[in-house]
Amino acid sequence: MNNRWRPLNFLRPAGDPNLARIKRRKALLSLIARRVSILKVALFIAGYVWMLAIPSSQLDRGVFIDENALQPGQVNTYWNWQQVHDADHFLSQLEFLRDSNATSEQRSQFIMNQFVKIGLSASTQDYEFTGVHKGVNGTNAYAMLSSPRVSGAEAMVISASWLSRTNEGDGTLNLRGVATVLAFSKFVKQYSLWARDLIFVISDGYMDGMQAWLSAYHGETQSNLRAQRLDLTSGVIFTAFNIDYPGHSLSHLGIFHEGVNGRLPNQDLINSFQHIARRTGVPVVLYDHKDEPEQLSWLPEAIRNHHEIKTYAAQARNLWRNVGYQASGRGSGVHGLFHKYRIDAFTMFALPATGPHGFYSLGRIIESTLRTTNNLLERLHASFFFYVMTNFDRFLKIGNYLPSAILISVAMMFGGLQVWVDAAWTKRQSEESKGPEPALMIWARRRRPVLQALFIMIGTHFFGAVTFFLLSSRWYNSISIGPLLLFPVTSLLPLVVPSFIPQNRSDSVAPLSLVLKAFNLCLSSTVISIITVLNFSLAACLAVALGIPLSADSLSSNKAVQMVKYSAYLGLGIGWILWGDMTKRMLWNWDVLGVWLLPFLCVVYFPLTLQAALVCII
Amino acid sequence: MLSLRPTHTLALCILLRALLAYWISPSSVSSTAGFLSSSSPLTSWLNLQEGIYLFKRGIDPYSGGVFRHSPLYLSLSSLLPISIFSNPLFCAILFTVADAFAAYALIGIWRLRQGLRLTMESSRDSLLVAIYMLNPCIFIPSLARSTSSLDNACLLGAVMWACEACGSGPGGKSENESVVSSKRSRSKSRSLLLLALRTHLSTDTLILLPPTMMLILSQDPGSRLASPRGFVPGTKNKSTLTTPILVLLAEWFLYWTLLTLLSSLVVGFGSGWMGQTWGASFTLPDLTPNPGVWWYFFTEMFDHFRPFFLMVFSVHLLLYVAPVCIKFQHDPLYAFFILTGILSTFKPYPTLSDPGLFMALWGVFPEVYKYLRHPLVTFLTSLHALLLQPLFAHLWLSHGTGNANFYYATTLVGACSGGLALVDACWAGLRIAVGGVEGVDERGEEKEVVTQQ
Repeated sequence: MNNRWRPLNFLRPAGDPNLARIKRRKALLSLIARRVSILKVALFIAGYVWMLAIPSSQLDRGVFIDENALQPGQVNTYWNWQQVHDADHFLSQLEFLRDSNATSEQRSQFIMNQFVKIGLSASTQDYEFTGVHKGVNGTNAYAMLSSPRVSGAEAMVISASWLSRTNEGDGTLNLRGVATVLAFSKFVKQYSLWARDLIFVISDGYMDGMQAWLSAYHGETQSNLRAQRLDLTSGVIFTAFNIDYPGHSLSHLGIFHEGVNGRLPNQDLINSFQHIARRTGVPVVLYDHKDEPEQLSWLPEAIRNHHEIKTYAAQARNLWRNVGYQASGRGSGVHGLFHKYRIDAFTMFALPATGPHGFYSLGRIIESTLRTTNNLLERLHASFFFYVMTNFDRFLKIGNYLPSAILISVAMMFGGLQVWVDAAWTKRQSEESKGPEPALMIWARRRRPVLQALFIMIGTHFFGAVTFFLLSSRWYNSISIGPLLLFPVTSLLPLVVPSFIPQNRSDSVAPLSLVLKAFNLCLSSTVISIITVLNFSLAACLAVALGIPLSADSLSSNKAVQMVKYSAYLGLGIGWILWGDMTKRMLWNWDVLGVWLLPFLCVVYFPLTLQAALVCII
Repeated sequence: MLSLRPTHTLALCILLRALLAYWISPSSVSSTAGFLSSSSPLTSWLNLQEGIYLFKRGIDPYSGGVFRHSPLYLSLSSLLPISIFSNPLFCAILFTVADAFAAYALIGIWRLRQGLRLTMESSRDSLLVAIYMLNPCIFIPSLARSTSSLDNACLLGAVMWACEACGSGPGGKSENESVVSSKRSRSKSRSLLLLALRTHLSTDTLILLPPTMMLILSQDPGSRLASPRGFVPGTKNKSTLTTPILVLLAEWFLYWTLLTLLSSLVVGFGSGWMGQTWGASFTLPDLTPNPGVWWYFFTEMFDHFRPFFLMVFSVHLLLYVAPVCIKFQHDPLYAFFILTGILSTFKPYPTLSDPGLFMALWGVFPEVYKYLRHPLVTFLTSLHALLLQPLFAHLWLSHGTGNANFYYATTLVGACSGGLALVDACWAGLRIAVGGVEGVDERGEEKEVVTQQ
C-alpha cells in the first residue's frame, strides 16, 4: 500500500498520519508558546511606534467630498454689504446691552424681539440646573423660519452661544457671532430656496444653554435640569453650524469638530465648509493653530526646516488637541452637544485678528455652506464617520490609526493568557525515582483559584462605583478638602484585602496574584479594544497608561518594594483626584453635559489599576 | 458569598434583583444595555401588552403579525386586569420570581446530580444561585421583561423534576417503596407538564425533549461522564424500554394536546395562532435584529432561495439531537446541556437568556473543568461579544456612525464564542472518561501525573 503512487508524497511523511498531525500541532503550539514573550514585546513596540507615526504624512491622505449631492461652492451668493451693515447695526445694539450689564433675560428678550421684527416666529427658553451645579441657569432665544418649499419635516440649525469658546468659555463674549446669526436670519428670510426649516439659536452661557435647548427640543428629561418647554418646534435636525466670532476681525477660520463623548460629525460637512471657505478666499485651519509650532526651536535648523519634520510637528500639535478634546469627552465646543442627537455639526471659529476678513466673508461662507447642505436629500451618510483629522485637509482612515491601539491590546491579551497558562504549572520533584541519582524535576498541574480572583475583581469595580458615588455627591463638593480626604481613604482601604485572603502557599494551588494578573490583563485588553471604536483617543490614552504598567506588575517578597509598587499603581489609578480643578471640571461635564469620562475613570479605569496594585501585595 | 447559606444568598439576590427591576425601566435597559439582544419579537413584553390589549378589545391579535406569543398568555389576561401588565411592581415581582424559581431549580438539579435529596444543602448552592441570578445574560432580559426569562424558568423546572423522577433516585432505600414511586410519578408528571407548556411557549423545546425524557427514564441523574456505558434505564424490567418510552410520550402528548385545546379555546376555536406562534420559528417572518445568526442571512437572501435555506437552517438544528443523545447516553443531563448550547448559538430567535442558560448550566458540571482546553479564551470571546453587541447596536441605531454589518459582526463573535464553548464542552465531557491529566518532566517528555485537586 505504501508503494502506491500518491501525489505530493513529500508532504506526507511515513508513519501514522494522525500521530504526525498531533505532533505537528504540538510543535506549532510550542513554537508560539516559546516565543510568546518576544511576540508580546514586538506587538507592544509595533503598537507604540504606530501611535507615534499617526501624525506623519505617510499615513494620512487628502480629504475629498464623497456625497455628490453636496456640490459645495457651486452657487452664487447674495450676501452683500447691506447685510454687513445689518450685522454692524445688531452688533452696536448688542454692545450697548453688554455695556449696560443686561441680564440674560433682558438679552434674550432683546434678541427675540429682533427676530420678531425680522418677521420670524421666535421665543425664549429659561433653564436652570439643580443638584451639585445649582448656579447654572440662563435664557436661550431662538427663532424659526419655516421652509417655503416643503413641509418642515427636516431642519438645519445656525447657532451662536453668548460666550465664545475662547479658553473653554472663559467669559469672552461672542457678540459678533450673535450679530452674524441675527443678520443672517434677516437675510435668509428674503429667499425662497430653502428646502429645510432654518432654526436660529442664541444659547446662553457656553455649553449649558445649548444642552438645555437640545434636551427640550428632543423631549429628553435630565433629572438635574429644569428647562422650559419649547413653544416652537420643527422637524428632525440634519446639520448644525455654530458660529464663534469673538474678535474684531478675523484672519483665518478654524474648524472645531469633536463632539461630547468622542463623537465626530460626518467628514463631508467639514470638507464642504473648508472647500467653500478657501474658494471664498479665507484661509482655513484646524482649531486655532495658525502659526507654526515653536517647540522645535532646540533642533538644528537643517532638521527643523525639513518639510517632513515640519509637517509632523504641525500635525502632531493638531492631533494632541484632538486627543485632548476626544479623550476627555468634553468636545471642542457647543457643536459637540448636537452630536448626541445624531446631528452633524461643527464650529466655525473666527480667529481674532486685525484683518483682513470680517462679516462680509463670513456671511458669504455661511450662506454657501448652508446652500450646500440644503441640497441634501438625506442625512449625511457617505464619507467617513471614523477618522482622525491631522490637518484641515488631511485625515487618517480607520485602518491607518485603529491598529495602533489594537496591537497594544493584543499584546496585553497575550500577556494575560501567558500568565494564565503559567499559573497552571509548577515544578516539583518526581516521586518515582527513588534511586541515588537526583530526583527528576517534573512539571505538574496545579489548581488556579479562579473564583477568588473574580470576587476581588468584582469587589474592586464595586469599590470604584462607591468612589464615584462619593465624588459626585453634594457633600464632597461642598467641602474644600474633599480630595485630601478621599484620596487616602481610597488608597488605604484596599490594603485590608490581603488579610481576607487565606494564605495557602501549597504546591497544588497557584498563587492568587498570578491568576488576578492574568484576568486583569485580559480585562484591560478587552476594555481597550472595545473603546477604540467608541472613542479612539481615550483608547489610545488607556493603551499608553495601562499597556506596559499592567504587564509589568508582579509580587515581590520585600514588603517595602511591595508598598512602593502599590502606591505607584494607585497614583496612576486615582492620583488625578488630587487635581481638584480637573475633577471639578470632569464632574461638571458629567453632571451638566452627560460626559461619561468621570464614571468611566472611577468604575473601569481605577479598578483596573487597583487590581494591578493588589497583584503586588497579595 | 461562598460561606452564605443558599437561602440567604437567594434572598439577597432576589432583593437586589427586585430593586433593580423596580427602579430600572425596561425602556432604559433596552436603550442602553440590552438593546437588540434583550428580547426578540417572540418574547417582547411590549408585543405581549399590545396583543392583550387587542384581545381585550375583541380584535384577533394574531391577524396583525406583531403578536407572536402563545394564547396561554392571553388566557392570563382574562384573569388579571389589563393595567397590571404595565405595572412596574407586578412586572418586577413576576420576573424576579421566575428567575428565583429557575435558580432554585438549578440548585435542585445540582443537588440531585450529587445524589442528595432536593431539600439537602450542598456547599455549591450559593455559587449556583449567584451564577444564575447575577448573570448579566439572565438579568438584562429580565429587566427588559423578555418572556424568555419565563421560558428558562419553565425549562429548568422541568429538568429538575425530571432529575427527581429518575429510576432509583435518592431516598429510595429508606422510605416506603410505594411512597417513593408515587412521588416519582408526581415529579414525572410535573416535568412532562412543564415540558409541554414550554413547547407551547417556545418551539425549540422539541430539540430538548429527547434528552429530558432520557433523563426521566435513566437510572439516576448522577454524573456518569467519567465512566461511559450504554444507556441504563431506571425501570425494573431492564430489557424493554419501548413501553416506558411510549407511556412517557403519551403523557407528554396528552398535556400538550390539552394545552393546545385550551389555547384554541382562548382564541375562539381558531387555529390561526399556530402559524403565528410556532410557525414563526420555522418561517422567520420578523427580521428584527437579534443576537442570533439567522436574521441577517435572511435579510440578504433572495426570496426564491428562502424556503430552501429556512429548511436547511431548521434541519441543521435537528441534526445535532441524535448524535449528542447517543454519544452522551450515559449522562442525559450532559446531552441536555450540550443541546442548550447548540440552541443558544443557532436558534432562530435567541435572546440573551439563551446563552445565559447555557452559561448557568456550566455550574452544574464542575467535574469537567479540569479537562477544558481553552476556558479563558471562550470566556473572553463571550465577554467581547457581550460588550460589543450593545455597543455596536448603539453605533448603528443611535449614533448613526455604524450600520447593520457592525451589529451582525458582533453576533458572529457571539456565535463563535458559543461554538468554542460547545466544542470544549464536548471535548471535556468525553475526555474525562479517559482520565488523568498529563504532566511533563524536565526533559520535555510527557508522563501521566494525576494530581489531586
